[in-house]
Amino acid sequence: MSVDDAITQLIQTGRTEEAFERLVPAYRRRVFGLAYSVLRDRGAAEDVAQEVFVKLWQALPRYDGRAQLSTWIYAITRNTAISAVRRRRRLVSMSDPAVFEEVASRGAVSGAMADEAALWRCVEALPDRQRQAVILYYQEDRPVEEIAAMMGLPVNTVKTHLHRARANLALALGGAGEEVA
Amino acid sequence: MNTEESRRADLATRLRGLLGGLDAKAGFEARLMQRVATLAVTPHADLRAQFERRRERLRRRLRREAWMNGITILGLGACAVALLWRFAPDIQQIAANPARPLDLNLLVFGTLATVAAGVWLLIRRARG
Repeated sequence: MSVDDAITQLIQTGRTEEAFERLVPAYRRRVFGLAYSVLRDRGAAEDVAQEVFVKLWQALPRYDGRAQLSTWIYAITRNTAISAVRRRRRLVSMSDPAVFEEVASRGAVSGAMADEAALWRCVEALPDRQRQAVILYYQEDRPVEEIAAMMGLPVNTVKTHLHRARANLALALGGAGEEVA
Repeated sequence: MNTEESRRADLATRLRGLLGGLDAKAGFEARLMQRVATLAVTPHADLRAQFERRRERLRRRLRREAWMNGITILGLGACAVALLWRFAPDIQQIAANPARPLDLNLLVFGTLATVAAGVWLLIRRARG
Protein backbone atom coordinates (compact mmCIF):
# COMPACT_ATOMS: atom_id res chain seq x y z
CA MET A 1 0.00 0.00 0.00
CA SER A 2 1.40 3.40 -0.98
CA VAL A 3 1.77 6.25 1.51
CA ASP A 4 -1.05 8.12 -0.23
CA ASP A 5 -3.36 5.12 0.07
CA ALA A 6 -2.51 4.75 3.74
CA ILE A 7 -3.18 8.45 4.37
CA THR A 8 -6.47 8.30 2.43
CA GLN A 9 -7.55 5.28 4.44
CA LEU A 10 -6.77 7.08 7.70
CA ILE A 11 -8.82 10.08 6.59
CA GLN A 12 -11.74 7.91 5.56
CA THR A 13 -11.74 6.22 8.93
CA GLY A 14 -11.81 9.60 10.67
CA ARG A 15 -8.23 9.46 11.94
CA THR A 16 -7.33 12.81 10.41
CA GLU A 17 -4.70 13.78 13.00
CA GLU A 18 -2.79 10.59 12.34
CA ALA A 19 -3.22 11.13 8.61
CA PHE A 20 -1.86 14.66 8.94
CA GLU A 21 1.17 13.45 10.89
CA ARG A 22 2.00 11.06 8.05
CA LEU A 23 1.18 13.56 5.33
CA VAL A 24 3.55 16.32 6.47
CA PRO A 25 6.85 14.42 6.17
CA ALA A 26 5.65 12.71 2.98
CA TYR A 27 4.83 15.99 1.23
CA ARG A 28 7.08 18.56 2.93
CA ARG A 29 9.79 18.60 0.25
CA ARG A 30 7.35 18.45 -2.64
CA VAL A 31 5.18 21.26 -1.29
CA PHE A 32 8.24 23.36 -0.46
CA GLY A 33 9.84 22.64 -3.85
CA LEU A 34 6.69 23.54 -5.74
CA ALA A 35 6.24 26.74 -3.74
CA TYR A 36 9.90 27.65 -4.21
CA SER A 37 9.75 27.00 -7.95
CA VAL A 38 6.92 29.54 -8.21
CA LEU A 39 8.16 32.11 -5.70
CA ARG A 40 11.97 31.90 -6.07
CA ASP A 41 12.36 32.93 -2.45
CA ARG A 42 13.08 30.50 0.38
CA GLY A 43 11.44 32.49 3.16
CA ALA A 44 8.29 33.05 1.14
CA ALA A 45 8.25 29.41 -0.01
CA GLU A 46 8.47 28.27 3.58
CA ASP A 47 5.61 30.58 4.58
CA VAL A 48 3.53 29.23 1.70
CA ALA A 49 4.37 25.63 2.65
CA GLN A 50 3.22 26.33 6.22
CA GLU A 51 0.04 27.96 4.92
CA VAL A 52 -0.63 24.98 2.64
CA PHE A 53 -0.28 22.48 5.47
CA VAL A 54 -2.54 24.55 7.72
CA LYS A 55 -5.13 24.60 4.93
CA LEU A 56 -4.72 20.85 4.52
CA TRP A 57 -5.14 20.32 8.24
CA GLN A 58 -8.37 22.30 8.14
CA ALA A 59 -9.64 20.64 4.96
CA LEU A 60 -8.54 17.07 5.63
CA PRO A 61 -11.82 15.97 7.27
CA ARG A 62 -13.63 17.11 4.13
CA TYR A 63 -11.33 15.23 1.70
CA ASP A 64 -13.60 12.75 -0.07
CA GLY A 65 -11.01 10.87 -2.13
CA ARG A 66 -12.56 11.77 -5.48
CA ALA A 67 -9.35 13.45 -6.64
CA GLN A 68 -5.98 11.81 -5.98
CA LEU A 69 -4.47 13.01 -2.72
CA SER A 70 -1.33 14.31 -4.45
CA THR A 71 -3.34 16.13 -7.15
CA TRP A 72 -5.41 17.81 -4.45
CA ILE A 73 -2.34 18.86 -2.45
CA TYR A 74 -0.50 20.17 -5.55
CA ALA A 75 -3.53 22.22 -6.59
CA ILE A 76 -3.75 23.80 -3.13
CA THR A 77 0.02 24.50 -3.21
CA ARG A 78 -0.07 26.04 -6.68
CA ASN A 79 -3.02 28.28 -5.81
CA THR A 80 -1.50 29.36 -2.51
CA ALA A 81 1.86 30.11 -4.17
CA ILE A 82 0.22 32.08 -6.98
CA SER A 83 -1.78 34.09 -4.43
CA ALA A 84 1.45 34.78 -2.56
CA VAL A 85 3.08 36.00 -5.78
CA ARG A 86 0.14 38.32 -6.35
CA ARG A 87 0.41 39.61 -2.80
CA ARG A 88 4.09 40.26 -3.16
CA ARG A 89 3.62 41.85 -6.60
CA ARG A 90 7.24 41.22 -7.33
CA LEU A 91 9.52 38.25 -7.60
CA VAL A 92 12.65 38.17 -5.54
CA SER A 93 15.56 37.05 -7.60
CA MET A 94 19.05 35.86 -6.78
CA SER A 95 19.32 38.69 -4.29
CA ASP A 96 17.59 36.27 -1.91
CA PRO A 97 20.20 36.17 0.87
CA ALA A 98 19.19 32.66 1.91
CA VAL A 99 20.48 31.32 -1.40
CA PHE A 100 23.91 32.80 -0.80
CA GLU A 101 23.84 31.61 2.79
CA GLU A 102 23.21 28.09 1.65
CA VAL A 103 25.91 28.23 -0.99
CA ALA A 104 28.34 29.55 1.60
CA SER A 105 27.28 27.01 4.21
CA ARG A 106 28.23 24.13 1.96
CA GLY A 107 31.83 25.08 2.57
CA ALA A 108 32.81 24.93 -1.07
CA VAL A 109 35.97 26.61 -2.29
CA SER A 110 35.49 30.09 -3.68
CA GLY A 111 35.76 29.00 -7.34
CA ALA A 112 33.15 26.32 -6.94
CA MET A 113 30.93 28.75 -5.06
CA ALA A 114 31.15 31.20 -7.92
CA ASP A 115 30.22 28.39 -10.34
CA GLU A 116 27.27 27.46 -8.18
CA ALA A 117 26.11 31.07 -7.91
CA ALA A 118 26.42 31.41 -11.69
CA LEU A 119 24.31 28.30 -12.17
CA TRP A 120 21.71 29.67 -9.73
CA ARG A 121 21.54 32.87 -11.70
CA CYS A 122 21.05 30.92 -14.93
CA VAL A 123 18.27 28.82 -13.38
CA GLU A 124 16.69 31.99 -12.01
CA ALA A 125 16.83 33.63 -15.42
CA LEU A 126 14.91 30.82 -17.14
CA PRO A 127 11.30 31.47 -18.18
CA ASP A 128 8.83 30.59 -15.39
CA ARG A 129 7.68 27.18 -16.64
CA GLN A 130 11.19 26.05 -17.57
CA ARG A 131 12.54 27.12 -14.18
CA GLN A 132 9.75 25.31 -12.37
CA ALA A 133 10.30 22.12 -14.36
CA VAL A 134 14.07 22.17 -13.72
CA ILE A 135 13.74 22.84 -9.99
CA LEU A 136 11.13 20.12 -9.50
CA TYR A 137 13.04 17.60 -11.63
CA TYR A 138 16.46 18.02 -10.05
CA GLN A 139 15.26 18.57 -6.50
CA GLU A 140 14.55 14.87 -6.09
CA ASP A 141 15.02 13.21 -9.50
CA ARG A 142 11.27 13.00 -9.83
CA PRO A 143 9.62 11.28 -12.77
CA VAL A 144 8.31 13.70 -15.40
CA GLU A 145 4.78 12.37 -14.80
CA GLU A 146 4.89 13.56 -11.21
CA ILE A 147 6.25 16.97 -12.20
CA ALA A 148 3.40 17.24 -14.70
CA ALA A 149 0.94 16.54 -11.87
CA MET A 150 2.68 19.09 -9.65
CA MET A 151 2.63 21.79 -12.31
CA GLY A 152 -0.83 20.89 -13.58
CA LEU A 153 0.47 20.46 -17.14
CA PRO A 154 0.51 17.59 -19.68
CA VAL A 155 3.54 15.31 -19.52
CA ASN A 156 4.77 16.22 -23.02
CA THR A 157 4.61 19.92 -22.22
CA VAL A 158 6.78 19.35 -19.17
CA LYS A 159 9.24 17.34 -21.28
CA THR A 160 9.45 20.22 -23.72
CA HIS A 161 10.03 22.73 -20.91
CA LEU A 162 12.77 20.54 -19.45
CA HIS A 163 14.42 20.10 -22.85
CA ARG A 164 14.38 23.84 -23.53
CA ALA A 165 15.56 24.64 -20.03
CA ARG A 166 18.58 22.35 -20.40
CA ALA A 167 19.38 23.85 -23.79
CA ASN A 168 19.10 27.37 -22.39
CA LEU A 169 21.26 26.49 -19.40
CA ALA A 170 23.91 24.94 -21.63
CA LEU A 171 23.92 28.06 -23.77
CA ALA A 172 24.03 30.39 -20.78
CA LEU A 173 26.85 28.45 -19.18
CA GLY A 174 29.07 28.89 -22.17
CA GLY A 175 28.27 26.13 -24.61
CA ALA A 176 26.94 28.57 -27.19
CA GLY A 177 25.25 26.83 -30.07
CA GLU A 178 25.14 23.54 -28.19
CA GLU A 179 21.82 21.96 -27.35
CA VAL A 180 21.47 19.55 -24.51
CA ALA A 181 18.55 17.12 -24.76
CA MET B 1 31.17 9.19 -23.92
CA ASN B 2 31.42 12.06 -26.40
CA THR B 3 31.84 15.71 -25.45
CA GLU B 4 28.18 16.56 -25.73
CA GLU B 5 27.13 13.66 -23.54
CA SER B 6 29.75 14.48 -20.97
CA ARG B 7 28.63 18.13 -20.88
CA ARG B 8 25.06 16.98 -20.50
CA ALA B 9 26.01 14.69 -17.65
CA ASP B 10 28.08 17.44 -16.04
CA LEU B 11 25.16 19.88 -16.21
CA ALA B 12 22.82 17.26 -14.71
CA THR B 13 25.29 16.59 -11.89
CA ARG B 14 25.67 20.29 -11.16
CA LEU B 15 21.90 20.81 -11.15
CA ARG B 16 21.44 17.85 -8.82
CA GLY B 17 24.12 19.25 -6.52
CA LEU B 18 22.48 22.67 -6.60
CA LEU B 19 18.83 21.72 -6.26
CA GLY B 20 19.10 18.36 -4.51
CA GLY B 21 19.30 19.91 -1.08
CA LEU B 22 16.32 22.20 -1.59
CA ASP B 23 14.16 21.77 1.47
CA ALA B 24 12.45 23.76 4.19
CA LYS B 25 14.55 24.90 7.15
CA ALA B 26 15.14 22.53 10.04
CA GLY B 27 12.28 22.60 12.51
CA PHE B 28 9.65 23.15 9.84
CA GLU B 29 7.47 20.34 11.11
CA ALA B 30 7.78 21.39 14.74
CA ARG B 31 6.76 24.96 13.83
CA LEU B 32 3.86 23.65 11.79
CA MET B 33 2.61 21.35 14.55
CA GLN B 34 2.82 24.25 17.00
CA ARG B 35 0.74 26.39 14.66
CA VAL B 36 -1.79 23.65 14.13
CA ALA B 37 -2.01 23.03 17.88
CA THR B 38 -2.77 26.73 18.44
CA LEU B 39 -5.55 26.52 15.88
CA ALA B 40 -6.85 23.33 17.41
CA VAL B 41 -7.26 24.84 20.88
CA THR B 42 -8.88 28.06 19.69
CA PRO B 43 -12.45 27.66 20.90
CA HIS B 44 -15.13 27.56 18.27
CA ALA B 45 -16.82 30.67 19.70
CA ASP B 46 -13.57 32.63 19.37
CA LEU B 47 -13.18 31.61 15.75
CA ARG B 48 -16.77 32.62 15.08
CA ALA B 49 -16.21 36.01 16.75
CA GLN B 50 -13.00 36.51 14.75
CA PHE B 51 -14.86 35.69 11.55
CA GLU B 52 -17.71 38.07 12.40
CA ARG B 53 -15.29 40.90 13.24
CA ARG B 54 -13.44 40.37 9.97
CA ARG B 55 -16.70 40.29 8.01
CA GLU B 56 -17.92 43.48 9.67
CA ARG B 57 -14.61 45.25 8.88
CA LEU B 58 -14.86 44.13 5.27
CA ARG B 59 -18.49 45.29 5.05
CA ARG B 60 -17.57 48.75 6.41
CA ARG B 61 -14.63 49.04 4.01
CA LEU B 62 -16.76 48.09 1.00
CA ARG B 63 -19.50 50.57 2.06
CA ARG B 64 -16.91 53.35 2.41
CA GLU B 65 -15.42 52.53 -0.98
CA ALA B 66 -18.87 52.50 -2.59
CA TRP B 67 -19.58 55.97 -1.15
CA MET B 68 -16.24 57.32 -2.34
CA ASN B 69 -16.78 55.89 -5.81
CA GLY B 70 -20.31 57.37 -5.93
CA ILE B 71 -19.09 60.81 -4.87
CA THR B 72 -16.23 60.72 -7.37
CA ILE B 73 -18.50 59.68 -10.22
CA LEU B 74 -20.99 62.41 -9.28
CA GLY B 75 -18.20 64.98 -9.15
CA LEU B 76 -16.76 63.96 -12.48
CA GLY B 77 -20.23 63.83 -14.02
CA ALA B 78 -21.04 67.34 -12.70
CA CYS B 79 -17.75 68.64 -14.13
CA ALA B 80 -18.52 67.05 -17.50
CA VAL B 81 -22.02 68.55 -17.57
CA ALA B 82 -20.66 71.97 -16.55
CA LEU B 83 -18.03 71.78 -19.28
CA LEU B 84 -20.60 70.83 -21.90
CA TRP B 85 -22.90 73.65 -20.68
CA ARG B 86 -20.12 76.23 -20.66
CA PHE B 87 -18.71 75.29 -24.05
CA ALA B 88 -21.87 74.18 -25.82
CA PRO B 89 -21.64 76.87 -28.55
CA ASP B 90 -17.96 76.08 -29.18
CA ILE B 91 -18.65 72.35 -29.34
CA GLN B 92 -21.46 72.97 -31.82
CA GLN B 93 -19.13 75.05 -33.97
CA ILE B 94 -16.40 72.38 -33.78
CA ALA B 95 -18.92 69.73 -34.79
CA ALA B 96 -20.03 71.90 -37.70
CA ASN B 97 -16.48 72.77 -38.74
CA PRO B 98 -13.85 70.31 -37.40
CA ALA B 99 -11.03 72.16 -39.17
CA ARG B 100 -11.56 75.24 -37.00
CA PRO B 101 -8.80 75.81 -34.35
CA LEU B 102 -9.85 74.84 -30.81
CA ASP B 103 -10.68 77.45 -28.17
CA LEU B 104 -7.86 77.59 -25.59
CA ASN B 105 -10.17 77.40 -22.56
CA LEU B 106 -11.98 74.40 -24.00
CA LEU B 107 -8.67 72.72 -24.70
CA VAL B 108 -7.39 73.34 -21.12
CA PHE B 109 -10.61 72.24 -19.39
CA GLY B 110 -11.03 69.24 -21.66
CA THR B 111 -7.47 68.10 -21.02
CA LEU B 112 -7.82 68.58 -17.26
CA ALA B 113 -11.08 66.60 -17.20
CA THR B 114 -9.53 63.77 -19.21
CA VAL B 115 -6.44 63.68 -16.95
CA ALA B 116 -8.63 63.70 -13.81
CA ALA B 117 -10.75 60.81 -15.13
CA GLY B 118 -7.60 58.90 -16.11
CA VAL B 119 -5.95 59.42 -12.70
CA TRP B 120 -9.12 58.29 -10.96
CA LEU B 121 -9.23 55.13 -13.06
CA LEU B 122 -5.53 54.43 -12.39
CA ILE B 123 -5.99 54.91 -8.63
CA ARG B 124 -8.95 52.54 -8.66
CA ARG B 125 -6.98 49.96 -10.60
CA ALA B 126 -3.99 50.20 -8.27
CA ARG B 127 -6.24 49.71 -5.23
CA GLY B 128 -8.21 46.89 -6.81
